[in-house]
Amino acid sequence: MITLENRLPAAHRFKSILPAGKFAGAIPPLVALVAALAIFVVLALVQGSTIDGLINALTKGVFGNPNYLQQVLTKAIPLVLAAVAVTIPARAGLVNVGGEGQLIMGGIVATGVGLALGSSLTGPLVWVVSAAGGALAGALWGGICAALRVWFNAPEGVTTLLMNFIALDIMLFLLYQPWKDPNGSGQPQSRPLEDSAILPMIPGTRISTALLVVIVVVFAAWWLMNKTSWGFKLTVAGGNSEVATRSGLSTVRLSLESMLLGGALAGLGGALNLLGVEGQLRPDVTATFGFVAFLAAFVCRNKVLPTAIVATVFAAILVASNPLQLRAGLDGSATYVLLGLLCLGLAVAPFTARRSS
Amino acid sequence: MITIILAGAIATGTAILLPALGELITERAGITNLGTEGAMLGGALAGVMLGIKTGSPWLGILGAIVIGALVSALFAWSVVIRRANQLAAGLIIWFLMLGLTSVIGRSYNGQVLDPIGTLAIPLLSEIPVLGPILFDQSPLVYLGYILIGVIGWVLARTRVGLKVRATGERPLVVAAAGSQPHRIQLLATVIGGGLAGLGGAYLSVGTVGNWSTDMTNGYGFVAVAVVMFSAWRVSWVTVGSVLFGAAIVTASQLQAHGFAINQYLLDALPYVLTLVILVVISARRTSQPEALRAALAPN
Repeated sequence: MITLENRLPAAHRFKSILPAGKFAGAIPPLVALVAALAIFVVLALVQGSTIDGLINALTKGVFGNPNYLQQVLTKAIPLVLAAVAVTIPARAGLVNVGGEGQLIMGGIVATGVGLALGSSLTGPLVWVVSAAGGALAGALWGGICAALRVWFNAPEGVTTLLMNFIALDIMLFLLYQPWKDPNGSGQPQSRPLEDSAILPMIPGTRISTALLVVIVVVFAAWWLMNKTSWGFKLTVAGGNSEVATRSGLSTVRLSLESMLLGGALAGLGGALNLLGVEGQLRPDVTATFGFVAFLAAFVCRNKVLPTAIVATVFAAILVASNPLQLRAGLDGSATYVLLGLLCLGLAVAPFTARRSS
Repeated sequence: MITIILAGAIATGTAILLPALGELITERAGITNLGTEGAMLGGALAGVMLGIKTGSPWLGILGAIVIGALVSALFAWSVVIRRANQLAAGLIIWFLMLGLTSVIGRSYNGQVLDPIGTLAIPLLSEIPVLGPILFDQSPLVYLGYILIGVIGWVLARTRVGLKVRATGERPLVVAAAGSQPHRIQLLATVIGGGLAGLGGAYLSVGTVGNWSTDMTNGYGFVAVAVVMFSAWRVSWVTVGSVLFGAAIVTASQLQAHGFAINQYLLDALPYVLTLVILVVISARRTSQPEALRAALAPN
């Protein structure tokens, strides 16, 4: 498509002041990140935080905290999978902003299966069935939007977004009525899963073995996308649907498959979050992870391995909300501001000139 | 009960109508602003803060419009000047505002101000049936009526409106004709943001009279969906908004009358309705502004 790029000096304005060289392209994003961080510090100070408090939060709460890394890796379990769930449909040209709803549906089904089978089956079987159920639920939730896209032309960027709210309402319905824990002192939460339904910890750590599953799935996704003919077909279909059709590829089928797989990954993330981390369904088990995951995939331009790494970094930022609250007196949502500023910085940094839009 | 539901549908629908009219202008210029949700949050909080500080809810409303416009100016700068991906930039702006309003608004949680309330228009409100439905509402609802007409007229019948529409269809033609498509897109997005801020303030200052964290509850996203299924027409934006309002009000009325349906299932109803209509309309879509097609692609 003809764009207005040629009428836009802004995207090229920075080229002349950049030093030539291999890493020159990394400078504008770095500047953007530092600027985002600086704005965040100023906002924190305006909100009554002190430099001392912020430094304290960083030294004692983050780097000096032996539990921090373990908390980050635990939070990364759903976040990384939901982020990879964005990259696969994106390769086929589809936007998946429904990670939040897919995580929730995965968590719901995993809870349902876990509660129903937890006392009658032995551990590994319950894990597999719950995780598979969660993945199926996520696939269904994403697949609906892909189907609406390919057969009814409904923009999946909006339908996946709306499906998040529907999933949230379904979860709240379950937690306030049929699944409400009678011993939960009135809290909207499900009964805790049986111990046998919960994934064990990695020996010697307090990190769930779910993390190992996540690592395996991430590499499998990378292999699928970059080393198989299916991944290549997806790239072709996403790049130019006419070329794809003339080469005999079914873009309809590839679109559906990519979204089903993406949804399945996010659903699996929701299930593992339940089986490995939470142990019972609560209204805030996902708490915007789906959206954070989308941002991670966005700043990595939907490359699988970088997306997984950045999603982990974002998990680290989210976990930092505790020390920021305790030591710097900031509201727990301050990390959303930081994440938003960092992503905005990356989105507008001049290296985006290469991006077609 | 029918009167209550219809009057409620208009009152609640206005919370969708105001941001949706704004988004309509923005999308007509070829920009999809999912940051509408963020601009609404900013407007809702700014309205309460200013309303409490100055004691005048109307100054609060004014501040909300300004904040909504500023938030959308940041979005517009990102996507028009810096060429950031529209979908992602919109979500980033929303996320940023969700965090900012939570942090800043924490001390305002639970503080109340006098909401604007309703104002029955003399004579008109006495028309049987229609009067209480249409003319016994908040002044901001009446503002909505006026905006429907004004925005519809400007977009369809004036030079400015033609430029906006042309920018959404063929920006290069607009440039060739001597106008600056970027400037038009910036302006359309900022105006849209002002209306989103107004919509946010309608929720906080206009109806309940307080601020609560994440109080817009996805209304900004629904507004974007409503604009899409409206086929970019003011009349259908209006119908869609009122339909959405009707779904919400019907849900709460059913509950008030003792139907044993879970509240959260009913809460999902408006989103399901929006989704269904969006799908039905999309299947027969022809009139999408062309520059929009590129807007919702992944980066």
